Amino acid sequence: MNCPEFERDLPECVEGVPSPEQQAHLNSCPTCSGLLLDLNSIASQAQMLSAADEPSAAVWNALEERLWSEGLIRRSAPAYLPAEVKPSFMQRWRAAWLVPVAAALAVVAVVKLYHPANVGDKNPVATQSQPQAQAPAPAQSARLKHKPALSHEDQQWLSTVSSRPPAQLAKFRSDLDQANAFIEDAQQSLQEDPNDVYMQQMLMNAYEQKQMLYELVVDDSSH
Amino acid sequence: MTDARKQQGEKLTEAEAIERAKQGDAAAFKVLYDLHKRRVYSLCLRMTQNTASAEDLTQEAFLQLFRKIGTFRGESAFSTWLHRMSVNVVLMQLRKKNLPIVPIDDTLEGDEEGTVKKEPGAPDERLTGAIDRLRLQNAVDSLPPGYRTIFVLHDVEGYEHNEIAEMVGCSIGNSKSQLHKARLKLRELLKADRAEKARK
Repeated sequence: MNCPEFERDLPECVEGVPSPEQQAHLNSCPTCSGLLLDLNSIASQAQMLSAADEPSAAVWNALEERLWSEGLIRRSAPAYLPAEVKPSFMQRWRAAWLVPVAAALAVVAVVKLYHPANVGDKNPVATQSQPQAQAPAPAQSARLKHKPALSHEDQQWLSTVSSRPPAQLAKFRSDLDQANAFIEDAQQSLQEDPNDVYMQQMLMNAYEQKQMLYELVVDDSSH
Repeated sequence: MTDARKQQGEKLTEAEAIERAKQGDAAAFKVLYDLHKRRVYSLCLRMTQNTASAEDLTQEAFLQLFRKIGTFRGESAFSTWLHRMSVNVVLMQLRKKNLPIVPIDDTLEGDEEGTVKKEPGAPDERLTGAIDRLRLQNAVDSLPPGYRTIFVLHDVEGYEHNEIAEMVGCSIGNSKSQLHKARLKLRELLKADRAEKARK
């Protein structure tokens, strides 16, 4: 074996064990031997480049903001409630937020019960797969001063249910507007006091409830 | 983990952090981020050679991970899952920018780049001594993009050629070829750097 032949087989030598023929050449050729040692050294030392650098603190800060805005993280609510918890906010919303969710659950339950696909089903009640939520005690209803703008995701969601009867569609839209208004209001409260842990929890709950609205209706659309 | 442990300041294990993160625990996300940020960031930095891009891609990789963490069932190692996601994020970014990832069907046969460059009559000197991490880093950064991608994925990050071929969309032979050329090129760069240093 000569040097050009050895170099042709070099990649296999670096990643494996030289054959007897290759080893014989290595034993007699310091140039090829040195080359193989260098390439092995480069390959093995490369691992020290893994995890060699650290991102700035700004990366986590930005990531945390995104996680928060997407409702993926929540902070633990305090064991106690503050003595004064944004009375104006609570007066506006209190348990009224639960009303659209309870209504959505009730609508889904009714639709499942009387869906045409269930005709002939001997036990239509058994097809009711969604639990009926207990409507909360009547509370001061929220009056929407304005309708928040619909996000792209909201518009996509509405388009998936566009074939529903108009009255149902109007109800969905109303529930969605309520949800968005609640979120917007909570966000504004947080802007005034970003460290308000309780309000952070309220915002998290709002995102979760909105997600539940999506899932309830879309899940029903798929059946 | 019990509240008592937490109050005592004991750190979460990765498995505990994963389960808590699935519940939306912000502290658990931070634990997972701190455990893996260096590796993800280093990968992004090696591939893009730009700290701002690397930070953006790091953020994107973790964001995708945390969005999907609810689906993680533990069939593979969490780090493997995260790392593969990071590689995909980087490669997607490179494709979006129409940056070259790996030259197509480039093999060693008949290719001058795949051979050892020697000056007529001059011995091929060895790269003696330990390789300095910073110099190796600079040399890797100087590689052509295609070589750099394969070298980083194989020698730095430990992926096999079949995995690399699948990720970057090339043949296994191409992956091996590019890797070999990358190593030869690095050897040249390191020798030149060492000669430059010796002259000063």
